[in-house]
Amino acid sequence: MSDIETKFYNAFIVKDRWILYFKGLGVTMEISILAGLIGIVIGCVVALMKLSEPKPGKKHTVFWYIATIYVDIIRGTPSVLQLLIMWFIVFSNSKNGVLVASLSFGINSGAYVSEIIRAGILAVDRGQTEAGLSLGLSKAQTMKEIVLPQAFKNVLPPIGNEFITLIKETAIVGYVSLSDLTRTASQISSRTYEAFMPLIGAAVIYFIIIKMLTLLLEALERRLRRSDLR
Amino acid sequence: MISVKNLCKTFNGQDVLRGITTEIDKGEKVAIIGSSGSGKSTFLRCLNLLEEPTSGEIWFEDQLLTDPKTDIYKVREHMGMVFQSFNLFANKTVMENITLAPVKLGVMNKEEAAEKALNLLDLVNLRAKADVYPASLSGGQKQRIAIARSLAMNPKVMLFDEPTSALDPEMVGEVLELIKVLAEGGMTMVIVTHEMGFAREVATRVFFIDEGIIMEENTPEMIFNSPQSKRLQDFLSKVL
Repeated sequence: MSDIETKFYNAFIVKDRWILYFKGLGVTMEISILAGLIGIVIGCVVALMKLSEPKPGKKHTVFWYIATIYVDIIRGTPSVLQLLIMWFIVFSNSKNGVLVASLSFGINSGAYVSEIIRAGILAVDRGQTEAGLSLGLSKAQTMKEIVLPQAFKNVLPPIGNEFITLIKETAIVGYVSLSDLTRTASQISSRTYEAFMPLIGAAVIYFIIIKMLTLLLEALERRLRRSDLR
Repeated sequence: MISVKNLCKTFNGQDVLRGITTEIDKGEKVAIIGSSGSGKSTFLRCLNLLEEPTSGEIWFEDQLLTDPKTDIYKVREHMGMVFQSFNLFANKTVMENITLAPVKLGVMNKEEAAEKALNLLDLVNLRAKADVYPASLSGGQKQRIAIARSLAMNPKVMLFDEPTSALDPEMVGEVLELIKVLAEGGMTMVIVTHEMGFAREVATRVFFIDEGIIMEENTPEMIFNSPQSKRLQDFLSKVL
């Protein structure tokens, strides 16, 4: 057997090690998807809190302050540190590592998603809202029927981007000893004393997953665009 | 029908409207002229409270709009508005643009609204465009649809905010023609416009707004043939 073949064999085939990579990928995706969903829910709520505009001369609402402080803190500290704080301080008694990690990444992602959604809503022409109001529709009806559907199209690409970032960022769960894809690869390489195959293998798996996601998002975007040029 | 008392509006310390008082009766067609920045659009947008007045009173029929207790959303159902930039809902088809408000607000059911919309599309001569999205329409077509959308609510008054200012010259005519048809049908309307010929022809009364007040108001003949104030004479000499 050639050298490359041996390395490949040791990295993936021996003791059915390939199963470990897929288990790792499972952890990575589980955390990413859960965190992504939490992030979108938090992001929507926080975006609406930040959009509650004060009347001229009046102060911001208490919601605005809460949302602003949240976004500032999350964006102002490293996500690794947030994860460690959640893990060793806030939920130090929790047994469910995946859930704690998901929550930590979700809270982190929510701050970025909220800014994306806020910008997406603000990017919808003010005239659209005025037209809705001038017909007698309420602010909520105008938001739901007219502004949000248009904002959705604006936010889809950056939200997709955020989710892609999130998938890769979960690689830091190795810090709290969760066996995601990256940590699995690193553990196998320390067992076989050979880094090339496991690490490149993990990189290829990340790449394929994200490439597929990108293609999916592009297709979705194309469909949304076509519907308003018919 | 609309009664305005000492209306003032201040934007960031700048007085845009400095005390406007006037009455507009049912069936009147009021044209508002004036140079840009004079406050004429702000005045119009105050009438349905898209712009919140700083002080003063606005009455519509027997309701005081400037009273915070008044349900302004309900009032707006009776006041159509047409914008300079059309503002058709980009995510809705022409048909949906027209039927959205009547259906959502419970004024009509879906079938009634659809029938009404088709009639209005006949009126504006765009029935063939019922199922397209606004992005594929020309400016003139968009504005005609916007007018149809307002009419779907059966408004008692129509507010036009420079309805032809964003149009290519060859499309101005089709929109003015449509507004003229509405005027002849007896609709009460307030029109901010730069089209002096149109104001002269269609309006029953013309306001010349300058520096946030109604500097002069009169019949179109008087305004255009014998302007009283120096400001109006200057303005007309520039635009005519």
